[in-house]
Amino acid sequence: MTTSTAVKSKERFLSKEAFAQLFTVLRDHGYTVIGPTIDQEAIVYDRIHSVDDLPLGWTDEQAPGSYRLKPRDDEALFGYVVGPHSWKRFLFPPEATIAEANKTDAGWQFEGTTDDPPKFAFLGVRACELAAMRVQDRVFLSGAYVDPIYQRRRSRSLVIAVNCTQAASTCFCTSMRTGPQCTSGYDLVLTELASGFVIDAATAEGADILDSLETTVALIETQQEARAARQQAVQQIERRMDTTDIRDLLLSNLEHPRWSHVAERCLSCTNCTMVCPTCFCSSVKEVSDLSGEHVERQRHWDSCFNFDFSYMNGGNVRDNTRSRYRQWLTHKLSSWIDQFGTSGCVGCGRCITWCPVGIDLTEEVAAIRGDVP
Amino acid sequence: MDPSQLRFILEELRFSAMLPAEVLDQLAAASTIKQIPAGTVIFREGGTNDNLYLIRDGRLALEMSVPGRGAVRILTLGAGEMVGWSALLDEGKMTASAIAVEDSEVVVAEAEKLRQLCRANRDFGYHLMEQMAAALSKRLVATRLQLLDLFAASPTPVPDRTSESEA
Amino acid sequence: MSSSYVAPLPDPRLATDPWRASTVAIRAVRPEVEGVSTYDLAFQDEAVRASYRFAPGQFNMLYLPGAGEIAISISDDPRNTATCAHTIRVAGNVTRTLAGMKVGDTLGLRGPFGTSWPLAECIGRDVVLVTGGIGLAPIRPAICALLHQRRQFGRLNLLYGARSPDTLLYAREYDDWSERGLIVHTTVDRSALGWMGNVGVVTLLLERLRSFDPRNTVLFCCGPEVMMRFTVLTALNRGMSPEQIWISMERNMQCAVGLCGHCQLGPDFICKDGPVFRYDRIAPFLDVEGL
Repeated sequence: MTTSTAVKSKERFLSKEAFAQLFTVLRDHGYTVIGPTIDQEAIVYDRIHSVDDLPLGWTDEQAPGSYRLKPRDDEALFGYVVGPHSWKRFLFPPEATIAEANKTDAGWQFEGTTDDPPKFAFLGVRACELAAMRVQDRVFLSGAYVDPIYQRRRSRSLVIAVNCTQAASTCFCTSMRTGPQCTSGYDLVLTELASGFVIDAATAEGADILDSLETTVALIETQQEARAARQQAVQQIERRMDTTDIRDLLLSNLEHPRWSHVAERCLSCTNCTMVCPTCFCSSVKEVSDLSGEHVERQRHWDSCFNFDFSYMNGGNVRDNTRSRYRQWLTHKLSSWIDQFGTSGCVGCGRCITWCPVGIDLTEEVAAIRGDVP
Repeated sequence: MDPSQLRFILEELRFSAMLPAEVLDQLAAASTIKQIPAGTVIFREGGTNDNLYLIRDGRLALEMSVPGRGAVRILTLGAGEMVGWSALLDEGKMTASAIAVEDSEVVVAEAEKLRQLCRANRDFGYHLMEQMAAALSKRLVATRLQLLDLFAASPTPVPDRTSESEA
Repeated sequence: MSSSYVAPLPDPRLATDPWRASTVAIRAVRPEVEGVSTYDLAFQDEAVRASYRFAPGQFNMLYLPGAGEIAISISDDPRNTATCAHTIRVAGNVTRTLAGMKVGDTLGLRGPFGTSWPLAECIGRDVVLVTGGIGLAPIRPAICALLHQRRQFGRLNLLYGARSPDTLLYAREYDDWSERGLIVHTTVDRSALGWMGNVGVVTLLLERLRSFDPRNTVLFCCGPEVMMRFTVLTALNRGMSPEQIWISMERNMQCAVGLCGHCQLGPDFICKDGPVFRYDRIAPFLDVEGL
């Protein structure tokens, strides 16, 4: 969300026709709109220009190791859950130049990042994704050192949340207490109904944009309809993860046989870490021009599942899949709490859906807890 | 040296400090103290030796001979440590040579007397062997660490990559 | 910034970009032992030089454009403000490139980073430094600091193990350290002709250390992880408690500021929560294979 001041809630109704104006208003406010759109048979987040780019009438069907787009029998614009992308790719880009070196007569001279991103408006942010942004804020902004690229992008971005009105089989945000309803961390929030949207602003910038749109008073019945739609998502969530004492549970079970069990299936492919909206591991590579006198340091996403991620003194500390899966899960659910005062998991279910062999972390936790045979 | 003085010395040595009073008395009675000038060979690898030595002061070295490399120094031992376990446990057939690296003072216990004491008095035997086992297990661990060659320049060949860490 | 914005406003002093290196020039290269040299680095920018301070035990990131960046512990006397010494073993691409550089060449430096040896804890107490191999390099600044205020501390013992007599680091300094009140004990794993010193692993030196008061001693340990584990075991056997033992850990440190994820060990980032840890903090995670 933007850095503008908070405002009082005042729900309005935005018709589907008036919704189309949002793109013009955002453009007028200087924003580049990033939102859901269909690409390669998935709903991804990309630059969009109009309502026509939205996945009208499509939904996603998700299960462990499976994701399918299916047509809906209505014209919903946000009638899906979450796809392989998360907003982190715009705040913590998969590849970014973090520093530069130039050889001069006085030797090497160094510059920091010159990243100058546009002002992003993120359209269609789900509650679990708002939570993921809060988690990454802790990682990149709240420590002794701040990541300049993330900070610049985050502070300039407008967040337009859209409440979930349905859930996938892989969702477990209620267990992680992150959703499905959006409660904070946005400038504007929408709930989609057949006739239009209930819309509300949480910041002055959001209110300013809201004022530029043709809205009407949200009738009590409309507000009730929106509540019911949001409740529908809650009711559809079936997956659960018991987070009781989870920090100690995992750290006191580092030698549990389940790690070997899951390692037999895990391909160490890194998919879970790539789709995770909070995973933040990265590496830096040197990209030099032909003369070797101008070098860019390019940071790219890395993964604790990569073989050489823990490379040290000629060997890899985590040299098998068991130790790498254990690192990922214990970090995500356990040591993350020590490090950042919050779980690293928001319950979005992406790692379950996009795992090629359908490994389900909620099942792994239950097994370590001893809840399943 | 009279046994009471020897007993006092044994009480101060790491090897024997934990022994109960009676055992110390018996050990003292079976021991003498001896000055060993630097360079003295106390026993030789492959040879026989009748004594167990406890170093009171100075330093002894254990060496093994390797064809082509001569005498290879494996370990040096200092005050409070035991040398010559083969005399007690292995009928005196020595597995290494012991040489005084500097002027040293050692408590010498006759292995046969110790064996007799062990046989006659199981309690003595238990306590002495407990100390022997503890000393040998420490030496075994130290040997394992030596074997790991922890300070070798590069444990395995280093692939060409940019992420190394040496802090 | 709105009140509901989760992230706090960054402290202005933190506005500096942690990724931006400063230019340093190589002022001197001193070969130490086979494959190991000490590089004295000097900041090009006078203002950076004037404000640069480090605490014993901290590390810098040295950056060779095109080759990469490595974490190197600082080996200098913390009072030396003109240059900053780094003792480096050739181990990979970056260090090999560095080995080919000469006096006057420039490179990048970010730092200092990480935690330091708890010198304040040592006041009025005995200090035992147990190190192995190139692990003496991160201890050297602590030795300088301890000797600089020698009267503040009790007995000072350095127990140092190397692979062989010719790989004992900083051997030319031992006499000076001894004269100033640090008892230097050395040992080697592999003896050599003419070596009259100790042979055997460094933990034996701790086993043998006389005039040792376990309740009034602080122990610093730096070396390969296995060596540190057994050093701690020996120290505990000799009656020290885990809170008196400090160890310097090593992992794959890349960003140095806890943002890249590489150097995690359990809940800790070695780069920012370490490298120097009080033993009881890191103990639960030291013996877990592949953590």
